[in-house]
Amino acid sequence: MKEEGEREVVTPGEVLGKASDVRAGRGAYLAPHNNLVYASLTGFRRALSPSPDSPDQRPTVEITDHKAHGAVPEPGSIVIARVTKVMAKMASADIMCVGPKSVREKFSGIIRQQDVRATEIDKVDMHLSFRPGDIVKAIVLSLGDARAYYLSTAKNELGVVSAESTAGATMVPISWTEMQCPLTAQIEHRKVAKIGG
Amino acid sequence: MEYVNPEGLRLDGRRPMEMRQIRAEIGAVAKADGSAVFEMGNTKVIAAVYGPREVQNRSQQISDKALVRCEYSMANFSTGDRMRKPKGDRRSTEISLVIRQTMEACIMTHLMPRSQIDIFVQVLQADGGTRSACINAATLALADAGIPLRDLVTSCSAGYLNSTPLLDLNYVEDSAGGPDVTVGFLPKLDKVTLLQMDSKLSIDLFENVMQLAIEGCKAVANYIREILLENTKQLEYRRGL
Repeated sequence: MKEEGEREVVTPGEVLGKASDVRAGRGAYLAPHNNLVYASLTGFRRALSPSPDSPDQRPTVEITDHKAHGAVPEPGSIVIARVTKVMAKMASADIMCVGPKSVREKFSGIIRQQDVRATEIDKVDMHLSFRPGDIVKAIVLSLGDARAYYLSTAKNELGVVSAESTAGATMVPISWTEMQCPLTAQIEHRKVAKIGG
Repeated sequence: MEYVNPEGLRLDGRRPMEMRQIRAEIGAVAKADGSAVFEMGNTKVIAAVYGPREVQNRSQQISDKALVRCEYSMANFSTGDRMRKPKGDRRSTEISLVIRQTMEACIMTHLMPRSQIDIFVQVLQADGGTRSACINAATLALADAGIPLRDLVTSCSAGYLNSTPLLDLNYVEDSAGGPDVTVGFLPKLDKVTLLQMDSKLSIDLFENVMQLAIEGCKAVANYIREILLENTKQLEYRRGL
């Protein structure tokens, strides 16, 4: 059950403390004109103790938010995306999950030819690495340009996770460049992700 | 016409310094990121907030702040006679602009660059003070959506009829043609963000009427805070904490 008195609910505009006593974390802000820390969200207030070796020993106060916001890709996060278009020098993909969370609205990502794998990056054939409809695991390189995030599959554990063969069956990976269809035994080329140990 | 009778009661039986009954409800529009219904007496308003989300019109994107858009409209059935043009007329455009500027002052837009926050307010029943009810509903909806705010903006109107300052005018008192002061107030920061007046008022009387409206704003703020705290506790119980 909820402990009374230990966790306090605050609303926007409430004073959380003086700037000399607390530091403003997520959901709080510092008003410069009177050096007070105010809340900016509605939720429970939590105090985080500072790390012992930091020069600033003030605790950080933050407010836990209740609305579940959708996940947003950040540089360095692992994402699951579905390939939509494959072109000569790049492939477009729709980002569906960021880490373990699914996204609320669609994000576009691009995998460039030089980001597909780590070795011989100028000899990559995009059509032998991805096909439209493949599910890939990639890492976000950067926020990219106005149209899409830049993604990379240049690691062993990144690449195509699941793909459908031309016959319509889910293919089984046989090496890091090949997948085989269980129905027709046809081998197709992909940049396969190494899942498991 | 007598708006305050010799015993000191107004047309609806209130005292001059008495506000109408306030009622609010959070989460009325499930699809929106945040929503609220706000009633001040017979005036009933619903607000829905969408955002922060990606800017739909790329040319309007601001690189360091969020874009705040607001649309005010009145339902056809909100007034006595069925209205012909509920939005797009001059009054709606003006009130949309006023609400947008008021809310923009208190949303921390610098935390959400290149995004868009849409506030839609619709009047379901109009009985005076629709502007104030819309601002209060928008504040509740923004707080429900989890958008960071500097403080809760609350609004209330006050007027001056029969030589008496009156708090929270209803439609009949508003259409009397006397002065109508609407104030938008940040209660904890003690700052005024909106100040509008119709008709004329001498400067010393104006001070009194504005202070009365500010007191009304503080009362609304207390109520809004209670509603938010109650809603948060309900959410925690449902999550089993």
